[in-house]
Amino acid sequence: MPQPRFDRLSERLLHAGIAPRHVHRYARELRDHFDDLVREEKAGGATRELAETRALSRLGNDDDLAAAMLSRPELRSLTARYPWAVFGLGPIVLLALSIVGALYFEFWLLNHSGGVFTYWTGKPPGPATAKLATRVYTVYNTLVVYGGPLLFAWLFYRIGSRQRMPANWIMLGVVLVCILSGFQNLIFYDKGYVGGGVLLVQSDLIPPFSHFAEHLARAAMNLAIAGGVWWFAARRKGSSTTALSRIVET
Amino acid sequence: MRTMANPSFMNGVPELLILRTLEANEMYGYELVQAIRARTNQAITLGEGVVYPALHALESDGMLRSRRKLVSGRTRVYYALTRKGEKHLAGLVRHWQHITDAVSLAIGGLAIGGTAHAAATL
Repeated sequence: MPQPRFDRLSERLLHAGIAPRHVHRYARELRDHFDDLVREEKAGGATRELAETRALSRLGNDDDLAAAMLSRPELRSLTARYPWAVFGLGPIVLLALSIVGALYFEFWLLNHSGGVFTYWTGKPPGPATAKLATRVYTVYNTLVVYGGPLLFAWLFYRIGSRQRMPANWIMLGVVLVCILSGFQNLIFYDKGYVGGGVLLVQSDLIPPFSHFAEHLARAAMNLAIAGGVWWFAARRKGSSTTALSRIVET
Repeated sequence: MRTMANPSFMNGVPELLILRTLEANEMYGYELVQAIRARTNQAITLGEGVVYPALHALESDGMLRSRRKLVSGRTRVYYALTRKGEKHLAGLVRHWQHITDAVSLAIGGLAIGGTAHAAATL
């Protein structure tokens, strides 16, 4: 008899809202406990097959093991308890915090990069340095504005799929991230003299909507990328689930 | 010897036994179940697999802390009592002693005259 992996029990608990960290640890502890029981039974003279049967019986059946976990509401994850907060408010808060955080970091860099440049080169920054700084900060801003939201979309997908949340909740989080992030922008340019750097934060969700079409296109692009990645991940997951159910059936 | 298994009667007992057993030493699940069995002279046996949700819940409540430890090539999750757990255990022990004293009194009283009243508030 192969060692039980408690995959079905884990799936059942995740669907019921038990936090993944508790579910995975529970499964690992049960596997270890099973090994200890088999060892104990074999030391008592039982054959391997009998020892494994007794070990499983002593450990409890799936229904008992699941009921024991489900009777502890404190082991449910925040995602399962407050999906509206995680997938509804989470994207808004996360995007706002990320843009504020990125802005403060950039501001800090701008204030210190001139001093660091002078320290290393022995001369103050000039027009050529301003061009370089503009390029460097443009790359940074592009990463924040384009890369960050896609990372957040993946994060919400990961949180939701780990907890086996209904697809609608996950989709809400991903769509909100993609759309809201499409309408925000961070821009930096340097006028070529000390103190002449300009750092702008734009959001086209508030009037006068000057670049609305451009931002709408970016939101659509985010959605297309996130949708493509989701489709690819779902296909991969589907094939591995089929393989797992084949193993379970055999 | 009969084994107690009435769920309502056993309410709170697993927590009490777990905390009491972990008072002296940190243990992992299998070790803990064996220790409880030995301590209660097999009168109370916890379901071997269902001890873990109780351990996880006690840890979530801050009564226990866990750490992974490599023993004989295997990583075990060891549980130990926290300061909060010690205080909680002291309260649980007082509560259960109060109840058992009251039940003993009631049983003793009933056996003699059938008029004694239990003083515990359950």
